Amino acid sequence: MNKILVIQITIFLVFAGLFGYMVSYTSVYDDIKSTIVTTTCFSCIKMDPVTHIDFTFETANGQPNPEFVVDNLTKGPVFLAFRQDVCTACDKMDPILKSVFGIDFEKKVLFYQTVSFDGSNVTFFHINLDHASGDFLNAFSIYDVDVRSGVPMFVIIALGNNSGTIQPCYATAYSLLGESQEEHRGKFLQDMVSMGINRYDENILNYMEQAKS
Amino acid sequence: MKLQIKRSISQIIFAFSANLGAFGLKTGFCYPFFYCNSCPAATSACPIRAIEIGVSKSDWNWRFILYPVLIIGAVGVIFGRAVCGWACPIGSLQRVTGRVARKLKKRFPALSKLGQHKIERYLRYIKYFDLFGLVILIPIFIDFMFTNICPAGFLVGTIPVSILNPGEYVPNEFFYAALVIFILFIVLILVVERGWCKYFCPVGAMLAPFNKISIYHVQVDKQKCTSCNICSNACPMGIDVPNMHRDPECILCGKCVEQCPQSGIHFRRN
Repeated sequence: MNKILVIQITIFLVFAGLFGYMVSYTSVYDDIKSTIVTTTCFSCIKMDPVTHIDFTFETANGQPNPEFVVDNLTKGPVFLAFRQDVCTACDKMDPILKSVFGIDFEKKVLFYQTVSFDGSNVTFFHINLDHASGDFLNAFSIYDVDVRSGVPMFVIIALGNNSGTIQPCYATAYSLLGESQEEHRGKFLQDMVSMGINRYDENILNYMEQAKS
Repeated sequence: MKLQIKRSISQIIFAFSANLGAFGLKTGFCYPFFYCNSCPAATSACPIRAIEIGVSKSDWNWRFILYPVLIIGAVGVIFGRAVCGWACPIGSLQRVTGRVARKLKKRFPALSKLGQHKIERYLRYIKYFDLFGLVILIPIFIDFMFTNICPAGFLVGTIPVSILNPGEYVPNEFFYAALVIFILFIVLILVVERGWCKYFCPVGAMLAPFNKISIYHVQVDKQKCTSCNICSNACPMGIDVPNMHRDPECILCGKCVEQCPQSGIHFRRN
């Protein structure tokens, strides 16, 4: 066997062996799939989705609202902010979120806090999909109403009257919210939360009565 | 069957399999060639994107760096840059535009001189700068990535997404820079045959060193060579074929193998 063939086979075995090991014994295959392949990168497509604040009762995938959302709805509207570790638009939106809600959080950590927003309680959840699991991870596809599968994604969940029944309703916004300036992005989020608070305040009493009966 | 027909079939199969996402197949593999995961039909991840995520803001996610390197390495050790010539969809596109580039070269001799200028061989190092500078170094320090302006992303991501979702997306801050680069990319591949592969492709830069040790390679029998230069003229990568030995630029397209009148150029294993 000549020398070059030995080198070729050795190098191939090292690469293929390490690759096989990574696929078999680490979560890299699933991580690549969930982080890159199935999640749309708005930076890669160089475009942001057009965003409107439209409240709806039907979840995106037909699954019920997650327990952690329903539990916190008794305190006030719930706001969810989804992101990933590497996401330029998320990095741009984080300071705006912090300023609008008057909070501070780390980008990789699941964070939640009930904050006062214009005198009303709003429970804020910051969910990093690369580190989330269970209900927090599933919430992403539940509220991805336009099936964009991209981050950042923002959801306000409030209460609405669905033909006489008070139910959770939500509105979803994406990426940089279709706004080119930071102030406008902040204003968009404020409007989104205010609309949620108004809907919540209109329906909370009936919701509680409905729950008792 | 003629070699170039076999190559066309291979390119069609790989272009099809790179887009099986259209039928719901999404995998956790990285492509061993230059193709974008933002294509609505993409099956796998762009290796460049995985590396960028791995190095972004000094996060050093080693798995995301190593994984695409291992895939490209395993394929590269066997086939070298044959991946560029036989599998890469962007390479296939350049095979088509290369015909236009050849006609333009005949019509405008200045383009031909441009390709023979002594600076041309140094331009080929730009792709290594793309890889180490734009893909690896810059994302460590600033909020910018090669994939934000990547022309392949524009071609197979931005354009199809705009067509499939009319009025649902608006340009973001990278759009206009990416548009300019995309236009330059189109002009480049229409004017210079395989211009992207030669000068700018970061995946080509990763595969190129493997030509030095790849099992499959092209070998020239110098005893049969009459220095007619038909092979060099046929080479889409502009290689001086009679004097090449495991050239990092060779994409094993086989044009020189087919056209050598002395049958002095062969594909070799080992």
